[in-house]
Amino acid sequence: MRKISISARASIAIVSVMLGGQLAQAQEGKPVSGGAITWGVATEPSCFDPHRASQQAAFFVARNYIDSLVGKKTDGTFAPWLATEWSISPDGKEYTYKLREDVVFHDGEKFDAAAVKANYDFVKKPENATNAVALLQYFDRAEVVSPYVVKLILTQPDSTFLESTSNVKLGIISPKALAKGDLCGGGPLLAGSGPFVFERYSRGQSAVFVRNKDYKWGPGYAAHTGPAYLDRVTLRFLPEAAVRAGALTSGQVDLIEGVQPTDAPLFADQAEFKLLTGPSGASTSFTFNINYTIPPADDVRVRRALRDGFDLEPLVKQVYLGTVPRAWSIIGPANPAYNKALVGAWGNNIAGANKLLDEAGWTGRDSEGFRTKNGVRLKIDVGYPQPYVRDNREVLIQGIQAALRKNIGFDLNLRIITAGEYAKNNANGNWTIYPNTDNPSDPARELWDMLGSKGFLYSNIANPDPQITGLIDEALRSTDVAKKRALTDEIQKLGVDQAFIVPMFAPSWFLAAKNNVNGLSFEAGLDSPSSAYDFWLAK
Amino acid sequence: MWSRIISRLLTSLVVAWASVTASFLALHALPGRIQDILAGDLEYPGLREAIAAEWGLDRSLLAQYLDFLLRILQGDFGTSYVLRQPVTEVVGSQLMPTVQLALLGGLLAIVIGVALALLTAGRGRISRQIASFLELVFASTPVFWLGILLLMAFSFTLRWFPVSGGSGWKSIVLPSLTLALPTAGLLAQVLREAMEKTLDQPFVTTVRSRGVGELVIRARHVLRHALLPAVTLGGWLIGGLLGGAVITEKVFGRPGLGTVTLGAVLTHDVPVVLAVVLLAAFIHVAASTLLDILYLLIDPRLRAQ
Repeated sequence: MRKISISARASIAIVSVMLGGQLAQAQEGKPVSGGAITWGVATEPSCFDPHRASQQAAFFVARNYIDSLVGKKTDGTFAPWLATEWSISPDGKEYTYKLREDVVFHDGEKFDAAAVKANYDFVKKPENATNAVALLQYFDRAEVVSPYVVKLILTQPDSTFLESTSNVKLGIISPKALAKGDLCGGGPLLAGSGPFVFERYSRGQSAVFVRNKDYKWGPGYAAHTGPAYLDRVTLRFLPEAAVRAGALTSGQVDLIEGVQPTDAPLFADQAEFKLLTGPSGASTSFTFNINYTIPPADDVRVRRALRDGFDLEPLVKQVYLGTVPRAWSIIGPANPAYNKALVGAWGNNIAGANKLLDEAGWTGRDSEGFRTKNGVRLKIDVGYPQPYVRDNREVLIQGIQAALRKNIGFDLNLRIITAGEYAKNNANGNWTIYPNTDNPSDPARELWDMLGSKGFLYSNIANPDPQITGLIDEALRSTDVAKKRALTDEIQKLGVDQAFIVPMFAPSWFLAAKNNVNGLSFEAGLDSPSSAYDFWLAK
Repeated sequence: MWSRIISRLLTSLVVAWASVTASFLALHALPGRIQDILAGDLEYPGLREAIAAEWGLDRSLLAQYLDFLLRILQGDFGTSYVLRQPVTEVVGSQLMPTVQLALLGGLLAIVIGVALALLTAGRGRISRQIASFLELVFASTPVFWLGILLLMAFSFTLRWFPVSGGSGWKSIVLPSLTLALPTAGLLAQVLREAMEKTLDQPFVTTVRSRGVGELVIRARHVLRHALLPAVTLGGWLIGGLLGGAVITEKVFGRPGLGTVTLGAVLTHDVPVVLAVVLLAAFIHVAASTLLDILYLLIDPRLRAQ
């Protein structure tokens, strides 16, 4: 009983905050300039250089000092940023960007076409081993057409390329800074052109950004133009959720991200605080990716039984107190490319799952009650790399594990593994189930990451399914919006129908702040909190 | 005396060398090739070869090992694979916060532990039971939990101390107390037991008969006898303080070696781990040398040998 009342209260609180949040926006009033805030963040970036960084939870940090050529709006279209306009050649292989002429990097260097070329060349160079290179799969070279016009040339059409140029990973760094070498350590050396200048970084403690007074080239999706309102933003790294919440309630920080569902009621109905819920799964859902080439998962009946042998909805509700929706597709429900036809199309068919397993010959039972065939237990490992385990996701998997065992005698074996073991399994192609959410980018690019023949999961597997990988390649090449949409719909449906994937829930981002912190929002291109550019403090 | 110190130093070199070698082998025995981990989610032809060449991973294990030894002899600890910064910079910038925390934590542990033992050894049953119950709670509470409880009481509710950060001495009070309490609990138990044995000795009766006050007897005469077993625990305590520092730093969001080391082990960041191991080995040897000298000061019988 107690559990139910808590979860009901929490969901009421969250709903009222989502409504209240909008009302509060309307009453925020006219922004004023000045002041400083301290922001308690959960993940300390292991690298501040956007070209090299790999932690999704830390990309919003880089947005404070890094600009991109174009900006992504919440409706999925694009806005001018460092480029005022752009055009794509009819064959889909040449992207021409006309650049702003008034942009200056933090180290005083001028931004121009040569700077863009220097950045793309740097990312593409294999020995630099940047993470951002994944976005440049079909990028061939950059050409300086005139001082403020740059042409990016591809080897084949890539419908995801414009989106990639809006990604923070391909953000533009001063060429002089690039030439200095490793910029992971942050600080003034890492000179971008963003609204804040990276003043200093103390590892394990904080990063400090000060306002770029000359900034007048904000992204077209932002709420204002000109310099940022705040004089100074200090990020304090507080990895413990309870500590972050306590630091905010006791007034030691002004804003926190990564609020746990259990802490949400602390801020929801309080006059001194506000709570904002971010885009729920605007990019991907938290999903089981099943390696369908390895027995027993090479039998579609086994995969479907895993998919349908438990009731996901109450499990998600219980773990997340009603703050996040369960997922139906690998693409998140807030993403325009979400295939709504999948809602209600699968899952929670325990009788059917048992029948499928009977048909597949898993009819024996061992002493612990698990199904067996020829004396072998029906068992699949979920290898979850320890560095990526966060917000109770392992608890949800344990819940599914218990349900599958009870309902259909299936041994879903959760193993928290090291980054090394994960890397080894991935290199050999013998991973079994990999649970994850992907970095946000174009939906076709996302599907390619997880299910494509050369994406990071299937690149070392000899015989990935030709139907789904073929469709994904076609979607990547397709520059016709309607056709591409039909293809991504088809891929999502095929993935769930063949049970290559089992989507679980659509994660949200929770921000809590003192009531005088205004202008908070989420950035579509990051699927996470925005930079502090629009933030302002009420006097 | 000098020969003793020199042989001590030689031993410390051997210990440091052995720990580095063992760690080097252990890190390479962990599953997963370093170039695969560094490649992360990336996949393109030539990537792994490029990474291997950049970091010298394409050479034999023996060559990598010898190269590493040679470089540390020259004071060069190389560059972190993951953080891409010189290891001396990474470790150096994190060293002082951890040393401060461990020293203050150790000092507090000794003060609290000794005070508890002095006040309760051989006293009434109830006060002893209360004390030993408290000690048991301290010694068995996870550092993590203790830290959160202290924060809730003294930072979030009373607002006496900040969560973390550069607010001077105030920011180190709660972390060092978190670190000190479990150690103090254990220390007090060991000390009291030893003191109680000593209190039954005939010489205590003799001292008492001279009319010396009870507290003076305990502090001047009995404590000295009880210190030996406590000092023997010293080496273990230092390990406990360093280990506890890892968690304490995480809870309080403090800079320090803990978080850096944990991250480095998880990502096979060999240069960073080896530098930390080397440092820990030296600290351990230095500490045990100091403890040996302490023995001499505590027990005059050892000086005669």
